[in-house]
Amino acid sequence: MKRYLKITPEGTKDFLFAECAAMDDVCGRIEKVFAGRGFKRVITPGIEFYDVFSLPCSGIAQEDMFKTTDNKGRLMVVRPDSTLPIARMVSTRLQNNLMPVRLYYKQAVYRNNPTLTGRRNELMQMGVELLGVKGLRADLEVITTAVEALTAVAGDFRIELGHAEVFDALSDGLDISENEKEKIRLTIEGKNYSALNNLLDKLEPCRAVSAIKSLPSLFGGEEVFERARAICAGTKASDALDYLHKIYTSLLALGLGDKLIIDLGLVQRNDYYTGMVFTGYIDGIGDAVLSGGRYDDLLSEFDMPMGAAGFAIDTDAVTLKTLSDAKVSYADNPAVLVYAEDGQELRAIELVAELNRAGRKAQFSVLPTWEETEAFARQRGIAQVITVGEED
Amino acid sequence: MPVSAASRKSLRWEKKTDDMKPLRIALTKGRLEKTTIELLETIGYNCDEVRNKGRRLILPVGDNDFEVVLAKAADVITYVEHGVCDLGVVGKDTILEHGSSFYELLDLGFGKCRFALATKSGSDFYSGYNTKTIATKYPNVTRAFFDDKNMDVRIIKIEGSVELAPLVGLADGIVDIVETGSTLKANGLEVIEWVTDISARLIANTASLKLRKREIEALQKKLEEVTR
Repeated sequence: MKRYLKITPEGTKDFLFAECAAMDDVCGRIEKVFAGRGFKRVITPGIEFYDVFSLPCSGIAQEDMFKTTDNKGRLMVVRPDSTLPIARMVSTRLQNNLMPVRLYYKQAVYRNNPTLTGRRNELMQMGVELLGVKGLRADLEVITTAVEALTAVAGDFRIELGHAEVFDALSDGLDISENEKEKIRLTIEGKNYSALNNLLDKLEPCRAVSAIKSLPSLFGGEEVFERARAICAGTKASDALDYLHKIYTSLLALGLGDKLIIDLGLVQRNDYYTGMVFTGYIDGIGDAVLSGGRYDDLLSEFDMPMGAAGFAIDTDAVTLKTLSDAKVSYADNPAVLVYAEDGQELRAIELVAELNRAGRKAQFSVLPTWEETEAFARQRGIAQVITVGEED
Repeated sequence: MPVSAASRKSLRWEKKTDDMKPLRIALTKGRLEKTTIELLETIGYNCDEVRNKGRRLILPVGDNDFEVVLAKAADVITYVEHGVCDLGVVGKDTILEHGSSFYELLDLGFGKCRFALATKSGSDFYSGYNTKTIATKYPNVTRAFFDDKNMDVRIIKIEGSVELAPLVGLADGIVDIVETGSTLKANGLEVIEWVTDISARLIANTASLKLRKREIEALQKKLEEVTR
């Protein structure tokens, strides 16, 4: 039988040295932003019941989840997302807590991606959830937290804003099945103009149909609002547009103008979004590194209806970018190697501790001879070797 | 919420123009490549380097306006999806079979053909209760087509001439790309249903479209004008 004891499963990897240092650095900076703004850390289990993620609105296909069973035969999944477990937790453990509640997490999620696509099956994510409140102030708080977090870890980035209700309001007016609606949503998400037109040409022409047709092209700067208003006039999507414009104007006032993109074709797979949605991009990473939005209906699935919004950052992608830019050096050699003559080991170990306390990076040489210690120091690039001899 | 002057300054997006890498476009080697190059020349880009490419796989176009990468069809999608190429030109057949997450910006209108379901002439494919067997090079396209009909089929992947499978009795029918239909006819097969139309498409990496919107839209517009 073939044994797989020397390789890691597809989509996973070991993190070594500089990779860990860079990851700690990136996570530390983000953590500082989150904690500084009053978000409190929570950790949810790595394994949860399948039912938590099988809600129709979860947007996670069952084939994308790693599954197992507990010893009662119940279906379990390895956490594929952090927002749903947090919704579960808030609706139970925090139901009597003073609202709003600000939470953040730093934990991996697991997805069973198709093989040989180079996608990661284990993804470290950090994110916040602001629960128990609706409205513009909460939305601004969540978006500006995302902006500050990206500012802390990436020089260049873009934040793209959309609103889940624009598509929902327009598509609700159409006489189509959920299946057809999903097909339309997918073509808008993929900016697949020709397929979208094919789908919509089969429908009775009306205002909503022509509005949906132009959704994927409604992205860009502030001029988008004007075009969108003309297209969506008289539909329920107008209110969503006005609201999004308000958020956009507020963010402009914060000096974010050049970093903002409006994309009304931002219709995300996570169906639980009900209000504003946003994604973040950084140069050099071919996929969104941040995504989030408002999900006011999700907590009702757990019998605790309340407003909520949040986002997640793909910290692995940010770490990768940080490492490739190598703006920060993550080389981490000790400055001093301490060698002990026979019988002086404990004194040498004490000296190392003393140097460490004084803030110097020192290491006790575990090699048996001075020659080996000296050769090791030379090869590793350690500048100084201190020898601890008999009472000197 | 007040933001300090220092952080406000750091939030400003600085425009990079000089050290910006040229847009990178992945082209499907072969016929699509030729037509795309003609198209690029029509809209005013010098493609001599690509025409005299020798064995090189990455080539500059115009006055270093962008770079062309030559790849096999399915790889075009892979390169674009991972963001190492910003744009790609690839057939709809490949997108349907391998497609994942990227933007499909434009139907370029060339490389036209169709996916079809074909059987031996005169046989009644839909009759009887037995589960049908389909031979194809495109198992995902075939699966989706019969899923839509709520019809269970057995799919066998064939690498070479699919037309052979029904003739030697391996399959009841085939799903394949049909251009003129002459190969089918010569082998006693006939199209019983069209699955979908195919043509070359311009695709874009999701992050690239956001980060380099102006450049990509400018090129898209030019291409749109000449392909319309």
